[in-house]
Amino acid sequence: MASSSENNTEVGGLLGWINARLPVTQAFEKHMSKYYAPKNFNVWYIFGVLSMLVLANQILTGIWLTMNYNPSAEGAFASVEYIMRDVDYGWILRYMHSTGASAFFIVVYLHMFRGLMYGSYQKPRELIWIFGMAIYLALMAEGFMGYVLPWGQMSYWGANVIVSLFGAIPVIGQDLMTWIQGDFLISGATLNRFFALHVIALPLVLVLLVVLHILALHEVGSNNPDGIEIKKNKDANGIPLDGIPFHPYYTTHDLLGVVVFLFVFCFVLFFMPEMGGYFLEYANFEIANNLKTPEHIAPVWYFTPFYSMLRAVTYPLFGVDAKVWGALTMALAIAILFVVPWLDRSPVKSMRYKGWYSRIGLLLFVVCFIILGVLGTMIATGPRTALAQLCTVYYFVFFLAMPWYTRKETTTTPPARVTGRFISIPQLLLALALIAGLTWLPLKAVGAEATAELEPFTVNLEDKAGLQSGAATFINYCMGCHGARYSRYQRVATDLGIPEKLMEDYLIFNPATSIGDLMESALPEEQAKNWFGIAPPDLTLVARARSPEWLYGYLKGFYLDPSRPFGVNNTVFNNVGMPNILGSLQGDQVCDDASCAHLNMVEGSGTLSEAEFDKVVTDLVNFLTYLGEPARLHRETIGGYVLFFLAFLFVFAYMLNREYWKDVH
Amino acid sequence: MNDGTVNKSRRRFLIGSTSLVSAAGAVGAAVPFVGSWQPSAKALAAGAPITIDIGRLNPGELLGPMPAWRGQPIFVMRRDETTLESLRSNLDHLADPQSENANQQPAYAQNEFRSRKPELMILVGICTHLGCSPQLFAQVQPQDFDPEWKGGFFCPCHGSMFDLAGRVFRGVPAPSNLRVPPHYYVNDNVIVIGLDAENS
Repeated sequence: MASSSENNTEVGGLLGWINARLPVTQAFEKHMSKYYAPKNFNVWYIFGVLSMLVLANQILTGIWLTMNYNPSAEGAFASVEYIMRDVDYGWILRYMHSTGASAFFIVVYLHMFRGLMYGSYQKPRELIWIFGMAIYLALMAEGFMGYVLPWGQMSYWGANVIVSLFGAIPVIGQDLMTWIQGDFLISGATLNRFFALHVIALPLVLVLLVVLHILALHEVGSNNPDGIEIKKNKDANGIPLDGIPFHPYYTTHDLLGVVVFLFVFCFVLFFMPEMGGYFLEYANFEIANNLKTPEHIAPVWYFTPFYSMLRAVTYPLFGVDAKVWGALTMALAIAILFVVPWLDRSPVKSMRYKGWYSRIGLLLFVVCFIILGVLGTMIATGPRTALAQLCTVYYFVFFLAMPWYTRKETTTTPPARVTGRFISIPQLLLALALIAGLTWLPLKAVGAEATAELEPFTVNLEDKAGLQSGAATFINYCMGCHGARYSRYQRVATDLGIPEKLMEDYLIFNPATSIGDLMESALPEEQAKNWFGIAPPDLTLVARARSPEWLYGYLKGFYLDPSRPFGVNNTVFNNVGMPNILGSLQGDQVCDDASCAHLNMVEGSGTLSEAEFDKVVTDLVNFLTYLGEPARLHRETIGGYVLFFLAFLFVFAYMLNREYWKDVH
Repeated sequence: MNDGTVNKSRRRFLIGSTSLVSAAGAVGAAVPFVGSWQPSAKALAAGAPITIDIGRLNPGELLGPMPAWRGQPIFVMRRDETTLESLRSNLDHLADPQSENANQQPAYAQNEFRSRKPELMILVGICTHLGCSPQLFAQVQPQDFDPEWKGGFFCPCHGSMFDLAGRVFRGVPAPSNLRVPPHYYVNDNVIVIGLDAENS
C-alpha cells in the first residue's frame, strides 16, 4: 500500500483491477499519503485519533456484550453479572466497555479543549466544529442510555433524573415523560427502548457524524497550534511547505500516542476498573429499586459539570419554576458550544497570538468547568451551590462576552510559517499549577465532604485458607436468609481450592442443588418478606456496593438496643433490620453513651475470644470481597502481562517514529 | 525533508518488527473476543452429567421420558438375546461394524455391541450426518426405506439408517456410527451419563 503513492493509477495486478472499479488508491492518497498535515502538531493533536480508537473499542466490545446481555427489567442486572462471572473473558469485555466509556469522554473533552485553545473552530472550519459538537451531543445520549443498561440503582435513578428533565418543559412535559418512558415510571419498557437506541440508532449516528467530521476536516485541512493556514505557502508542486504527509509521518506518530494511551487505559482497566467509583459507581452494584433512592446520587463524572448547573439554578424567575430554568440552563450550556465559531471575533486563531483576555478567560473557563464537575459528584450544600452558581455564570460569560473581548484585546501577529514549541516546560507547569490551585482553593473553601470514619480494612485474597473459612461462614450463617444468586458453587470451589466433593457434601445443603447451580438463598423471598418486612438483600455484590471497610465495621458493630425488633442496633448501619446472626460467637456489646462512639463487650457472653471473632469476620469480609468480583484474582496478573507487552511495543513504536521524524524540521 | 539519506533497510526492519509485535498484540486482544464464545459456566452447568434409572426399562423399548445430556437425546434400550444375535450376524451392510472409528465411542464401548453391558444400548440420539434425531423402528419387518429391515434407527431428515448398536449402514449420507456417550454404572439400575468411571 505504501508504495502506491509513487505510481498513482499505473498500478497493475489486483490493485489496478480494483482501482479501475473502486478508488482505493485514490482514497488512500487523499486521506493518508497525500493528505498534508501541518508538521508542528503537538501532543494535543493525538486526541482525535484516540477518540476514533475508543469508538472502535466501544463498538466491538459493545457487540460482544450484547451477545450475553438481556435487556429486560427482570434479567438485565443478572445478565451483567453473568457476563462478569460465567462468560469466559466476559469481565474483560465489560471493563473494556465501561472504561472505554469514560476514556471516550476524557479524550473528547481534551480534543474540544484543543479546539478552543487553537481556534480550530474558526473560518473555514465551522462545519468541522459543528459536526464535532453533534458528536459530543450524540455521545452524551449514548453514554446516558448505556449507563441505564446495567439496571443498577444509579442506572435507575440517573435515568429517572434525566428523563424528569423533560418533565420541566411547560404544558407537554408530563406527557412527554410518559411517552419517553413508555410507562408511568422508568421500567422494563424504557430499558428496552434505551437498549435499542444505545446499540443501534446512536452508534449509527455517531459513525456517520465521525465520517462527516473527518471528510470536512480533510477538505479544508487541519489547523495547527499556530493557527495559520499552511495552504498559503506551497512549493512548486502545490504541496504546503509546512505540511507533511499524514502517512507515514503521522501514522507513526499516532502509533506512539496510541501505545501510550493504551498503557494508561489498560492500567485503569486491569488495576482500578471502578476508578474509585467514578467510572463504575458503587451504588450501581445494587439492583434497581424504584422505591428507594440511594443515599447519595450523582451522575457519572462526564455529566457532572452540567448536572451542577442544573442544581445551581434555585430561583424561580418571571413566574417560571427554578426547575424549568435549571433544565434550560443545562440545555443552553451545551447549545452555546455550537455557536462558538461566530462568537469568536478575533483576527487570530491560536491562543499563542490572542491577547490576555482570551488566555485568562480560557484558563478560568477550564477551572470553572472542573469545579462544576467536582461539585456535581457531591451532595449540594449552601456554599457549594453558591460556588456552582458563580461558575455557571462564568461559563456563560466566557462565551457571551467572547465577541467583545476577542475584538477588544491586543493580539500579536502570527508568523508566516509554523513554529515549534511555544511555551516552555516551566511555563506549562505553572499554568497547570495555576489551574490546579484555582480549582482546589474554592472547592476547599466550600467544604470537603464529611464521611463517617470507618476502621481501615486490608483485603487479602491470597489467603486461600482464610477465604475457604470465610466461604464456610457465609454459607452456614448468611445463606440461611441471604442469597448469592449471581455466583455458582462450582466457581467458588474452583477459585478457592475447595474440592468439589467436599463442597457438595458439607456446603450445599439442598439435595436438589447441584454444584453448578447458583447460590440461591434457602429462604424463599415471599417468606422472608413476611419475617423481616423486606427480603434480605442478595449479598453477591455487597462488598462492591458497600466496601469491605463498611462490611467489617458493620459485622462488628452490633450492640444491644432493646428498642429494636431484634434487640440489637448497629453503629455502622443505624436501625438495621437484621438480627445479630454472629452474636453468639462475638458476644453482646453495649454502648458507652448515647453517641455509641465506643462499644463494650459483656464479658463471657460469646463463644469466641475477640481475636478469634476478628478472624471470623476478616475471613468473611475477604470472602465477600472475592465474591463481589471473582475475576479480581486473575485480573491484575493478566494486567501485568498486558502492560509489559505494551511497554515492549512502545520501544518499537518509539524507534519507528524517531526514524521517520529525525530529519523533519 | 529527508535530504535523500533515508536508510531504507533500517526503515523496512522497523516497520516489519513493529508490525510483527503489533500483530502479536492484536492476536492477544482477540483472545477475549474469541474465548467468550466458548460455553459459559451456565452452559457447562446445564450440560453436567446426568443420572438415569433403568429399573423399569422393558426389552425393545427406548427409555422414556427421553433423557437429555447437554440437551441431546440419549437413547437407552434393553436388547434381548434375539436382537444381540441379529447384531452379531448382520454385518455386511454396515460401514464400520467393528467400531474402528475411535471418536464415536469410549474405549470400553469399542466392542461388538458397542456397550459396557451387552444387553444395554446407550447412544447419543443425534444422526452423525447433519444432527437430526433418528427414529426407532424396533420391529423386524419390511419398511418403505428397507424391505429387509432388522430393526434399528432411521433418520427422517436424510434417510440414514443405523442398527440397534447405532452402527451406520453403507450407502447412506451419515459418515459414522452413532456416538456412545461417556457413562458408567453406579449399580445395575442407575447409570451416570456424561462421565466415565475411569475419569470420575
